[in-house]
Amino acid sequence: MSELAMTELPILVVGGGPAGVAAAVTLAEAGLRVLLIEQRDRLGGAIHRQPAPGAPQVWRGPARHRRNWTELTSRLERAAARIELRTSSVFLGIDGAGRFLFEDRRAGRVFARRVRAAIVAVGAVERIRPFEGWELPGVTSAGGAQVLLKETGRPPEGPIVVAGTGPLLLAVAAQLARAGNPPLAVLERGNPWRRPKTLAGLATAGPQLTEAAAYATTLAWKRVPYRTASEVLGVSEVGQGLAIRVRLGKIERLLQARHLLVHDGLEPNRAGIPLPAPGAEIPVLLAGDGREILGADAAILDGRRAAAAVLASLGQAAPVAPLEAALGKARAFQRDLAEALRSPSTLPTPETMICRCEGRRYADFTALPADASAREIRLMGRFGLGACQGRFCGPMLAELRGEALPSASPPRWPLRPVSLAALANFSMDQTET
Amino acid sequence: MNPCFYWIDRPVSFRPGETIAAALLRAGIADLGPEGGAVRGRVFCGIGACQACVVAVAGEGAVEACLTPARSGMRLAPPPSLGLRHE
Ligand SMILES: Cc1cc2nc3c(=O)[nH]c(=O)nc-3n(C[C@H](O)[C@H](O)[C@H](O)COP(=O)(O)OP(=O)(O)OC[C@H]3O[C@@H](n4cnc5c(N)ncnc54)[C@H](O)[C@@H]3O)c2cc1C
Ligand code: FES
Repeated sequence: MSELAMTELPILVVGGGPAGVAAAVTLAEAGLRVLLIEQRDRLGGAIHRQPAPGAPQVWRGPARHRRNWTELTSRLERAAARIELRTSSVFLGIDGAGRFLFEDRRAGRVFARRVRAAIVAVGAVERIRPFEGWELPGVTSAGGAQVLLKETGRPPEGPIVVAGTGPLLLAVAAQLARAGNPPLAVLERGNPWRRPKTLAGLATAGPQLTEAAAYATTLAWKRVPYRTASEVLGVSEVGQGLAIRVRLGKIERLLQARHLLVHDGLEPNRAGIPLPAPGAEIPVLLAGDGREILGADAAILDGRRAAAAVLASLGQAAPVAPLEAALGKARAFQRDLAEALRSPSTLPTPETMICRCEGRRYADFTALPADASAREIRLMGRFGLGACQGRFCGPMLAELRGEALPSASPPRWPLRPVSLAALANFSMDQTET
Repeated sequence: MNPCFYWIDRPVSFRPGETIAAALLRAGIADLGPEGGAVRGRVFCGIGACQACVVAVAGEGAVEACLTPARSGMRLAPPPSLGLRHE
């Protein structure tokens, strides 16, 4: 590496999932210095969460994702000289002086860095359609349960119900079945068989279809019922378990289970993330599912696209047209999938929790004036003010209002719990370059 | 023998490299309290977004159980304010 490259400020990449790793590798292979920040102790993101050392491997579905990840990580190793990897480090935000702040959780301190540009690839969060009792212990997001399954290699004990909408339900249920605890049932809110045309369109998507077929085969083999036009109406605690009131088509039933896994699609993880402003002094680009929900294959392409945009801004030629075309295909697939699974919206009951952080219910929301602005919803209704920064109630309220709630700006700092000791260990002279 | 940490007073064993959340769930601890709280903590999103799994580490502060590798001898408890505000 030349003298200049050594002293040059790095390009920051936040997030060690497929998008962030693809971006970091592309930049490093083009000769730039990269600072790659990941909050977990290992890379992999939501899809490639690695098992803890010694934990059994669970079935991860079709091999294509693993191949993609093996390729990315071996390129990362080859480019390691230009990539400074900081794991167990959380991106906190940007301070007034344009420095990027991080908490190194292993060392227990906050540090600041100056960078030339930033690519933020912090992935997706799951959307949840609220029902009475969704806030109870025992109710987990389906993706969250899947991530834990991959990490521990063991499914949760006791009967499981999986409910909501989207392909992730199939994947999680099949993985649980293979790991030895097939769910009692999978309840899909949508009714795709009602939209044969859209289904036929989806059937032309190669790898995704093979993946869905593999999951469906596993569910059939393990005799897990997959019910469409079905949903959870409410859940309450009974003894050590949950009583789950469900609607199966037109009939209502009560299911007893230990765990309820819910998932209603994905949202870009945006709360408190600096959004790219055109002409900003330090350009910030979003990449992967944190920019637009296009899935794991597209996240890799999108990481490369963001890296190409940074390279272009530095005067290095980097073709983006083929990437854009592939991303367009992924977008069409997501649109058809959403259309196939579209379901009528339902209103929560007054008692339904909307903001779990602050304990605010739907009745608190309807008590607000009908024309309340986003600011009034926040300040008078105290929605979206809690620890999660509105990551979950924000999308819920947006759906109920039929209009998005603009995110709090500027985001409150810190975005995440920062230990007081770590903050106390921060001083201005810790700006590393 | 596996190392352990403490949830309130209860020892919870874990495999090295595992998160606090994984170890708590394996021990059957889904309710992260506080006892009688209007809204109780629990592992939900698994990726550090929902903050529902935040636990207090004695002598250190609050961390997300789903992101934080378990360490031997840690003393964990529900964070003080969670869910008590609206009783
Ligand atoms: C819980 C969950 C489970 C999923 N499971 C699957 C699956 O099994 N199969 C599938 O095809 N798709 C799955 N998805 C969809 C997933 O979004 C994409 O497959 C793909 O992982 C997106 O890649 P990405 O790089 O954009 O984001 P991610 O893979 O989510 O990577 C983002 C990374 O950023 C890190 N990060 C976030 N915030 C910060 C911060 N402030 N500081 C530092 N680091 C941060 C995260 O720890 C994470 O490693 C899942 C999504 C979720 C939310
Ligand atoms: S379970 Fe959501 S932050 Fe840990």
